[in-house]
Amino acid sequence: MRRGAVFALLLAIGCGNDRGVAVSGIGPAPLRRLSNTEYLYALNDLFPAIHPALPPLPADNSVTGFENEAQAQAPSDVRIARFEAIANLYAAAATQDTAAVAAVTGCADWATPTGAAICSRDFIRTTGARIFRRPMTSEEEAHFTQRFTSWATAVDFSAAVQLTLSAMLQTPQFLYRAEPPEALAPTTDPVVPVEAYAMASRLSFFLWESVPDDQLLRAAAAGELQTEDDIRQQATRMLADPRALRLAWDFHRQWLALDRIMNDEHAVRTSEIDPAWTTATQTSALRESRMFIERSFAEVGTLDDLLTSRRAWVNSEMARVYAVDGPPDADTWVEVALPEDRRAGILTRAAFLAGYSHRGGTSPPIRGNAINLRLLCQLPAPPPDGVDLSMPVADPGNGPKTNRMLFAERTAGGCQTCHHALNGFGFGFESYTASGAYITQQAGLPIDASGTITGTDVDGPFANAIELSTSLGRSKVVHRCAAEKWLQYALGRMPTLDEYGLVDEIGTRFIASHGDLRTLLTEIVASQTFRMRKQPAP
Amino acid sequence: MMKRRQLLKALGMGGLASLVTLGASRRSRAADPAPPPRRVIYFVTAHGHTPNSWMMPVPGGSDSVVSERPLTPVLRDELGLMLQPLHPFRDRLLVVEGLSNTVNLANIADALRDHTDPNNHSVAVAGLLTGNRVRQQAGVPCTGGARSIDQELALRTAAPGRFGSRVYGFDYVPNLTVAPFSFLGPGQSTPIVASPDVAYQDLLGGYVPPPTGEPRDRAQVIASLRPSVLDMVGREYEFLGARLDADGKQRLDAHRALIRDLELSLGAGPSALCDPSFSATDHKVTQFMRLVRLAFACDLTRVVTFVAPVPQCPEFGYPAEAQVHPYAHQAMPGGSACGAMYNPVAEHAIQDLGVWYANHFVYLLEQLDSVIEGNGTMLDNTVVVWVPELATPHHFHNDTFTVIAGGGNLGLRTGRYVRYPRTFTSPQPNHVLLGPATNRLHVSVLRAMGQPDDSFGLTSVPDSAGGTIPLVGPLTELFS
Repeated sequence: MRRGAVFALLLAIGCGNDRGVAVSGIGPAPLRRLSNTEYLYALNDLFPAIHPALPPLPADNSVTGFENEAQAQAPSDVRIARFEAIANLYAAAATQDTAAVAAVTGCADWATPTGAAICSRDFIRTTGARIFRRPMTSEEEAHFTQRFTSWATAVDFSAAVQLTLSAMLQTPQFLYRAEPPEALAPTTDPVVPVEAYAMASRLSFFLWESVPDDQLLRAAAAGELQTEDDIRQQATRMLADPRALRLAWDFHRQWLALDRIMNDEHAVRTSEIDPAWTTATQTSALRESRMFIERSFAEVGTLDDLLTSRRAWVNSEMARVYAVDGPPDADTWVEVALPEDRRAGILTRAAFLAGYSHRGGTSPPIRGNAINLRLLCQLPAPPPDGVDLSMPVADPGNGPKTNRMLFAERTAGGCQTCHHALNGFGFGFESYTASGAYITQQAGLPIDASGTITGTDVDGPFANAIELSTSLGRSKVVHRCAAEKWLQYALGRMPTLDEYGLVDEIGTRFIASHGDLRTLLTEIVASQTFRMRKQPAP
Repeated sequence: MMKRRQLLKALGMGGLASLVTLGASRRSRAADPAPPPRRVIYFVTAHGHTPNSWMMPVPGGSDSVVSERPLTPVLRDELGLMLQPLHPFRDRLLVVEGLSNTVNLANIADALRDHTDPNNHSVAVAGLLTGNRVRQQAGVPCTGGARSIDQELALRTAAPGRFGSRVYGFDYVPNLTVAPFSFLGPGQSTPIVASPDVAYQDLLGGYVPPPTGEPRDRAQVIASLRPSVLDMVGREYEFLGARLDADGKQRLDAHRALIRDLELSLGAGPSALCDPSFSATDHKVTQFMRLVRLAFACDLTRVVTFVAPVPQCPEFGYPAEAQVHPYAHQAMPGGSACGAMYNPVAEHAIQDLGVWYANHFVYLLEQLDSVIEGNGTMLDNTVVVWVPELATPHHFHNDTFTVIAGGGNLGLRTGRYVRYPRTFTSPQPNHVLLGPATNRLHVSVLRAMGQPDDSFGLTSVPDSAGGTIPLVGPLTELFS
């Protein structure tokens, strides 16, 4: 659909006065299952006092780079078995004794038939509404009441609570984010606002990766999630909540593939690179990146800060890697300011630098690729068939050479068509070893970390990774790329071609806000594609 | 009849998989009177194997026709290093030379690729068991574009109370993205169960025995109501699904069907006289091999895919700082850019890794051969297919290592080394001639499993000379 036609359509259905981004189409809204992180956060928020040991869930499929891709959420027998096991564990823990049953039901007098009937009704309604994220329908309430009565007869009241909880936690109403059209008022409009409770779930699962809180559900009940202003108001509140840090971490973890550091390859570093590297260093690097991203989001909240800040939280392992004073053990974390001439933002932290290296050395093309693909949304061409992809090794007969010199030789000539950009970015990180440590010399030669940015709006030379990160932090291309990735994460799918106007518009507002992430996230939830949905074909 | 949990209790195991060790060589009798079921195991290893560690001469063989050599008279030392551990089972083996992962070559020639898969690992993983086009998304390593052969057989052999398949093993991370080999459908990896304990619980920990008239404690009564809970949950999927659009309903229907399977599995005990004991000791690989035997003996599944680990180098005798992947790149001289990096140490390392895999493979065969079924053993009623991700360590896709074990009662004529001629023009220009495609191996397995199919995955791909390469039909030479 042409952009103008969509805009006219939105005007026709009464959305034209919204200040939100309204210039492009509304894509599909496929049924979404909770991702693993959403599922576990939801359980945590529904049962904050219960922490049973859980069996591992099957990994989410990540066919487009994010774990919440709706099209990659086919069920499997293993997943269904894990959902059942986990539901049983939570249900058993939540009803382990009389006090627990009283707490979970909000009722203390189920000894008499009348008391039990009242308690079971209130429990089913109240707990059902929390788990289903909306009031139960009368049919649903009848289903659960019938089973509850049967189970109470077979065992006892507490057992019925336990079994009902287990059932609720396995229902599609909990595990999926269904938006049945019958919840909407009848209309012939092809595009309709998302129903209020479904909107509450859209907001909470995007901004908190979990279930709506009571305030959000009350807002839905009161019809206060209808207008763009309503949504913006809720977004402001929710983004100030600590639960928004989950989003900050999980998005950046996946966008920048920071958990690459946890792959087996990075459990070890060669003795030449870092003889003290252990799996504790590996896990510490990931945790350090999480603490940095969460604090950056909480206290500054800009893309620029993410790419330039020198604040860090270190334990003994990270202090060693960064060569700064730190605590004496791996369990204590303290805030430090990393050296101004050595570090700037997430791209100069160990999780990124080591995660995009080999255990025995760095690869400028791999690091350069990460910049191209993830920050600039640019797809480099594949290497030609038969090209030598091994790590170049210095010939002792030709004198000492830095890694940069070896890679420059390897990728000379025709390879420069692609490697001009790849190396340009990648060489900027040559001051950092495969463990993320800062060095000034290699093979007795000074490190040259200068390079050239190409293919962006901030093209030009840089002296080192500090300057490179600083330039990327103010690049409109990077901001637009980030906006696209954030929208993909919000929707659980790639934006459609029809939605790329929306990406441009959101990106523009993001840039105008000087990279303010809360502005970006608010623009996304206020957008038509987030607040509206197409009616299914009759 | 003693049911699963009762049997475990009698063995002092409760619901846990701590358990009793049984000697690997012990033979037990699965005494079900029905004919033994047909079963299949895919044993998948990473990278590829050097031809000189498994290929052997075929006296009188020809480059233009299929030729073969009996394995029974072959001495252990006459076999390649990788095959030597398999020598005791040589009369139960089909070693197949000349097959090509032709679809991979077509995918590489035609499909979108970017820097995310520079060595074609993801293409290989996506195509090995699917024999089909990959699913591609720019900027992300490609993944399976269709249901894999193991999951196709799982669908066809599943029954109430029986798992369609089990996928066990270890995450393989060739491009820093987990690659599972097995796919439920396009882009849908089949979950791999990586813990033998969890795998055991999946198989035998959930059985809910029917009432026997004996008093039960409260916990047992609650446990006995699990099927009731699942029944109710299943009805909610129907209830909600009916209110969604076609896509949503389809998703909930799929979920609902699996809930029903789980519900039925809770009430289905193992075969009456199968031995459900399991020892959670030793190497994880050997634990999984014993679990496969257990799962088959109790007829809890008929399809298993095992993704072997890429071990740390000290496990097969090389330094801790070394890595399998660089060794693989350097393991063969000539033929590719990797060839320029040839290092004899790497060649030995990859050969020794192959031997390490072969020793585990033999342990699996021993497990299967320890269960007497009918006039043979479980191994005779099971097709065990060992296929690597790539054909060779230096990332070729033609002339791939292929070993089939067992299946003697399923029509396979074992005890032979079979060489296929290379007569097909490759999908890639300026490439070598290819032997039959591995799609035809999949068809052969389908036939051994009693399925009538003539094809699996793609039926043909274009070659680089303007013709087509047929991918249909079984490898008839493998059968009696």
